[in-house]
Amino acid sequence: MSVTAESVKELEKKQEWWWAAEKKRSKRLDYLRKAMWKKGAIGGLYPLGLYIDLERPVMQTEKAKELESSADPYVIKFAKMLAHVLDNKTIFITDQSQLVGYLGSHPHTITWDPSLAAIVNHEVINDPQAIPEPLDDNLKLIKDITNYWGGKSDFDKLLPQMDLGDVMKVLSGAIGWGVPLARGGYSGKDYEYIMTGVRAFEDIIAELDNRIEEADEKAHQFEASRDISELIDKMNNWEAMKITLEAGIRHGRRYARLARIIAENFETDSRRKEELVKIAEACERVPAKPPRTLQESLQYDLFIQLFSRNEAIEGAWPARPDFYHGPYYERDVNVDKTLTREQALDLAGEFLIRAAEVSQYKPKWAREGLQGIEGTWVWTLGGVKKDGSDACNGMTIALLQAARLVRVANPTFAFRWHPKVSDEVMREIFECIRQGLGYPSMRNDPILVANAMHWHGHPIEEARLWVHQACMSPSPATKAGFQPMRMANATANCAKIIEYVFTSGYDNSVNMQIGAETPPVESFASYDEFFDAWITQMKTIFSILVRPVNRARILAPKITPRPFLSAVSERSVESGLDVCEPSISRGNAWITAFTWVENADSLAAVKKLVFDEKKYTLAELKEAVANNWEGKEEMRLDFVKNAPKWGNDDDYVDRIMLDCLRECAKYSHELKCPSGNNWPILPENVSGNIHYANIVGALPNGRRLGDALYDGGISPGPGLDKKGPTAVLKSCSKIDHISDGRAFLLNQRLSPTQLSGEKGYQLWKTYMKTWGDLGIDHVQFNCVSDETLRSAQRDPEKYQEVIVRVAGYSAHFVDISRKTQDNIIQRTVQGL
Amino acid sequence: MTTCSKCRKFFPLEDDPKRGDCVQRVIDPRQAYYQAKPVAADKDAAKCPSFEKK
Repeated sequence: MSVTAESVKELEKKQEWWWAAEKKRSKRLDYLRKAMWKKGAIGGLYPLGLYIDLERPVMQTEKAKELESSADPYVIKFAKMLAHVLDNKTIFITDQSQLVGYLGSHPHTITWDPSLAAIVNHEVINDPQAIPEPLDDNLKLIKDITNYWGGKSDFDKLLPQMDLGDVMKVLSGAIGWGVPLARGGYSGKDYEYIMTGVRAFEDIIAELDNRIEEADEKAHQFEASRDISELIDKMNNWEAMKITLEAGIRHGRRYARLARIIAENFETDSRRKEELVKIAEACERVPAKPPRTLQESLQYDLFIQLFSRNEAIEGAWPARPDFYHGPYYERDVNVDKTLTREQALDLAGEFLIRAAEVSQYKPKWAREGLQGIEGTWVWTLGGVKKDGSDACNGMTIALLQAARLVRVANPTFAFRWHPKVSDEVMREIFECIRQGLGYPSMRNDPILVANAMHWHGHPIEEARLWVHQACMSPSPATKAGFQPMRMANATANCAKIIEYVFTSGYDNSVNMQIGAETPPVESFASYDEFFDAWITQMKTIFSILVRPVNRARILAPKITPRPFLSAVSERSVESGLDVCEPSISRGNAWITAFTWVENADSLAAVKKLVFDEKKYTLAELKEAVANNWEGKEEMRLDFVKNAPKWGNDDDYVDRIMLDCLRECAKYSHELKCPSGNNWPILPENVSGNIHYANIVGALPNGRRLGDALYDGGISPGPGLDKKGPTAVLKSCSKIDHISDGRAFLLNQRLSPTQLSGEKGYQLWKTYMKTWGDLGIDHVQFNCVSDETLRSAQRDPEKYQEVIVRVAGYSAHFVDISRKTQDNIIQRTVQGL
Repeated sequence: MTTCSKCRKFFPLEDDPKRGDCVQRVIDPRQAYYQAKPVAADKDAAKCPSFEKK
């Protein structure tokens, strides 16, 4: 029977959710979903058919050259460059769409910002597959642009002011990834300032005008002081903010004009004409004035996100769409009844699609680390309001339902679970998980609110307004609480900690002394001495990663200003300081701890087989791992099979995990960000477990060089959790999820057969209750059978739409590497 | 001279007719859309492959 002839019910029975969704969604959503150009890189390469957009870099470079002789300070020149792009870029409106806006000039383009880093520009030159035709002409153009920005890009300006020793160790790629740039990381937003319907761009411009006028008057009175002198900088910042907001309003109106031109000159369908007029009205209204309807609210949000990405490469999308768009949904659907539920669902689905198609050129290491997606766009749903009451609303349900209809892999959702969440919402969540989306991930809200207060001192009313800064870390969307830029290079390849204990800090993959020169491992007479060396290596790696971020954050306001992000941030509008200025931020830093669990399993293996049982000496083990276990297979299997492994409710290894985490936690209170706040760790992996497979040497847990590392932050190694899901939860619950770290990623695979029907829901709900009661902060599920995944490996064309949870994000199974695919299949399927 | 202002796809700005948008229909392998690109009314369009006389 052909797919088209099958009923939705039959397709759902066969768990072919993607085909069922195609039949269930509206014609509009079906068109828009299929119209979407998927942007996530496959195997580190952009998919065929996508091209680097050269329009923006040409405009940017032209404007930069024009402004060279201008007397404007850099922040104003930068704002003018942004405005020039927004005023002149090609815009488009896709058929059937109701929301408009895209970064590039065409739907299949990837935007490239040449002002960010010369090292990225050189990757563009060497990426012929993504360079549009005519290749020779465009290569010349790219070279000219790259030559112009050499020495002028953010990173080029930043580098001479950094500690080059630290930077070289970071850039080696062995212990961390990313670069410490204020225009290249995860950028939060002050949603409490900009998304509550109280103000929009015109209101802020009026406030900026007042502040400039007041400052100007003050600066020219009969007095002189440092404060007066600093007013000049503030006035420049305010002026730059205003330039970007005005450009944003003009940009919105360009869409309004285009929509009216289409309606009046091209469109013949009366229904579509009405829609185009509605688009025009929305874009005349927002972002200038606060939205009045759900459509305007979504459009307003989309514009803000796009303008911010016009200013910076944002690898994450911190958002809370149900919380901020919910009031408009309630009014349109339930009070005024100007929108049916189906119409609202269309808007919610299109909002997901508009986000899914956003693309910004990233270096290959980032594309490899984020296989199949553009960035970790984890949108926050659920949770509580400022007063602690349940924040779920109609938009929560609409977004969960829309996700199942459009089935995009990015953005994904993370749900802030708490005991007051209704059964109706829990069922919607369960449907998303059961239908194989891999999201929402589940977050324990009471625990994470307490965690935000513990680690960063966020007051409870602000802590309750947290959103996911990236995959996992909470950050309040408030004036002092939000994080304007989380620089990704505070991301530690933690398996190096244990590796360096054996090499005295020398990294054999990059031939550099990176870690501390701890004594030769064979000289340690006790486990305590061995563990002390582990602590030393941990501190060395973490401090190397944190120092460049701190330095770059201090330099950011001058070298890499963010006038648009400042303009939509209360603290900058109020103070006249750039949004990255540490003194006006409470601080919300964290170290992402990739490849973490290998440490506990390796330490347990050393403790048991070397020190307790004395079966091997450290010298023998050092030689075995140095030679990648070659000729020592029997010994390797001893370390795999006869050493306790994390995730089996075994106190021997679980105690070691806690020792490691608590040493890190102690050190996290010593490491300080420029705002004076702490640097807790957050174990999770994105695709780092695959990316680092050939960079991390053999380890005492029996792993060989090249083997995939464990997939989660506190997930047991694939196939090593032998005692079932409750034992996994019990191990994880021994961690104090408030004070041992910022958050802990736990992957679990469930059987789709077991989760079918009402019985499946009740099983899952019981599991979730146990998880909640045990105080674990995170869990996420893969619920696609081995059979489907293996079929997808054999016949990828037929399974293009199968989605899996990779780490803190989801991806289409066919878009991730074979090694990652195998790693997901190897994860233990837990029977509940 | 053939200029953009003489093209059917040129839509002048109401407050500044010397400038406007070149509005075109595009159909790519996945979707159809209308695009607008700002242009000057007096821009030379002699070599423009999309030029359509009003």
